Amino acid sequence: MDSPEGRSDAEREAQRLSRRSVLRGAAGAGAAGIAASALAFTSAPAFAAATRPARPAGGETKDAEATGQIIVHVRDVSTGEIDVFRGTSQTRVHDRELAARLTRASR
Amino acid sequence: MSSHREAPEISKDPVADSTDVYAFVSPDRPDTVTLIANYIPLQEPAGGPNFYEFGDDVLYEIHVDNSGDGVPDISYQFRFVTRLTTPSSFLYNTGPIGSLSDPNWNSKQFYSVTRVDHAGPHPLGQNLACPPCNVGVLSTPDYEARLGSPAVHSLSDGIKVFAGQRAEEFYVDLGSIFDLGNLRPLQQANVYGKAAGLKSAPGVDATNRLNVHSIAIQVPISQLTAKGRPTIGVWTSASRQRVRVADDDGSNISSGPFSQVSRLGNPLFNEVIVPLGKKDYWNKQQPAHDKQFATYVAHPELAQLLPVLYPGAFPHLAALDKAGTARADLEAILLTGIPSGLIKGFTNYTGAVQADMLRLNTSIPPTPASSKTYSILGLIAGDAAGFPNGRRVTDDVVTIELRAIAGVVYPLIDPGYKVDAVVPDVTDGLTNTSVTNQSLTTFPYLGVPYDGYDNPS
Repeated sequence: MDSPEGRSDAEREAQRLSRRSVLRGAAGAGAAGIAASALAFTSAPAFAAATRPARPAGGETKDAEATGQIIVHVRDVSTGEIDVFRGTSQTRVHDRELAARLTRASR
Repeated sequence: MSSHREAPEISKDPVADSTDVYAFVSPDRPDTVTLIANYIPLQEPAGGPNFYEFGDDVLYEIHVDNSGDGVPDISYQFRFVTRLTTPSSFLYNTGPIGSLSDPNWNSKQFYSVTRVDHAGPHPLGQNLACPPCNVGVLSTPDYEARLGSPAVHSLSDGIKVFAGQRAEEFYVDLGSIFDLGNLRPLQQANVYGKAAGLKSAPGVDATNRLNVHSIAIQVPISQLTAKGRPTIGVWTSASRQRVRVADDDGSNISSGPFSQVSRLGNPLFNEVIVPLGKKDYWNKQQPAHDKQFATYVAHPELAQLLPVLYPGAFPHLAALDKAGTARADLEAILLTGIPSGLIKGFTNYTGAVQADMLRLNTSIPPTPASSKTYSILGLIAGDAAGFPNGRRVTDDVVTIELRAIAGVVYPLIDPGYKVDAVVPDVTDGLTNTSVTNQSLTTFPYLGVPYDGYDNPS
């Protein structure tokens, strides 16, 4: 059934595409030598959400996929460990230069 | 409680807080199993103007393991969406709600159901209407006929679903139990109760006249079991996306994979067995990894507390505790199921993998409520159709688990063990008759939710 990571083939494909998008985006920002890795989530639901309801009209919850937004979490500036969240995917990249630039931008 | 507010983190997130799970062969459709997961604990019926709703941002699931590895083979996923009829009004309803499509009902909720199994996701239903909360006699007149019953949806392949507010059918004397382990019928023997001069008294149902939100699904047994394996393991989980950003317009943006924040199989497992420092962690884990909690089952804190709280009442249990004997009886009930040979003609063993799941042997027919063998004490009273063989709505799981921890079934492991004389009297003093709105005889079985007008506090 599900893989050790608890992910289906379709989700792994989405993860791969998502990772590629991040790499492309990072390259466009001038980052070099970026390394990315998929994560294993022990706390993920046994099956990832298979369906999503239509968004509520006037509701109070949006998801980032519907709005096209990407959320970035710099986990460790010194190692350049960054989590990139988009839709229902999470991609971990390692890019010290990007982490440093984001840190500078946040000050 | 069973699992209401049972861990520090989830107690702050009631929308995702699972309270009870039920799994039983449907008494009126014995070729089916009914699975129920309750959420949003301790609802005051008058709790408006924003009455209770499922979380649009929560992934609710009911899982079935039919291979004994503590990993789901089938999951039923439920996702909700709220739609406002009149966003310019602050009111939940602008007049009486006479039907599920009544425009007077301002805040409607709908849901999708998807079965996920080894072959992938299978959508079972979309845009299924929830009933409104039972506001009061003026707002929601003739509630069950006009709103509750129409919210039972028949899907393909003999499946029925319901999601919405229901009466709390779990009964427990919280006020007494959380007051230093006091049981009102035995409080004259409680070390603190005796010092306070308390006398034996009937139990008080602290959850009576409160509501919950229930997700119920009735499925043909043939769609749940594996060939030659009639016993299934059942649990529920709730998950949220890993990241949430509060936007300036008052909305929230959710992103990332879903991460489990709540789960529930056997009643009271996380509540009573798992220590406080591990409860949040337990909620994040899968049953397949429950071996790490097995020591708390084998040496439960409550078994050590009973002889202290009730001096002299549990001498044999105290000796068992002192010897450091692993409680193989509790491990069987809660973690593996009961192997064949211990109880004549009965087993719900799923294998050696230790996993907290509600185990239901679907080959055991339901016991009619009118039968002499029917008992809310389930298996320990000889009724094999009740807890811990699955769990029925009426089962007295508090008394069953108290007596189990007190050693009532330990002779199955050690025939020389003598059960303490007080054990048959161990109870919080309640039965299913303590519940005002009684359970129904048909799906979704949980009673009509209490209305706010007649139950204002």
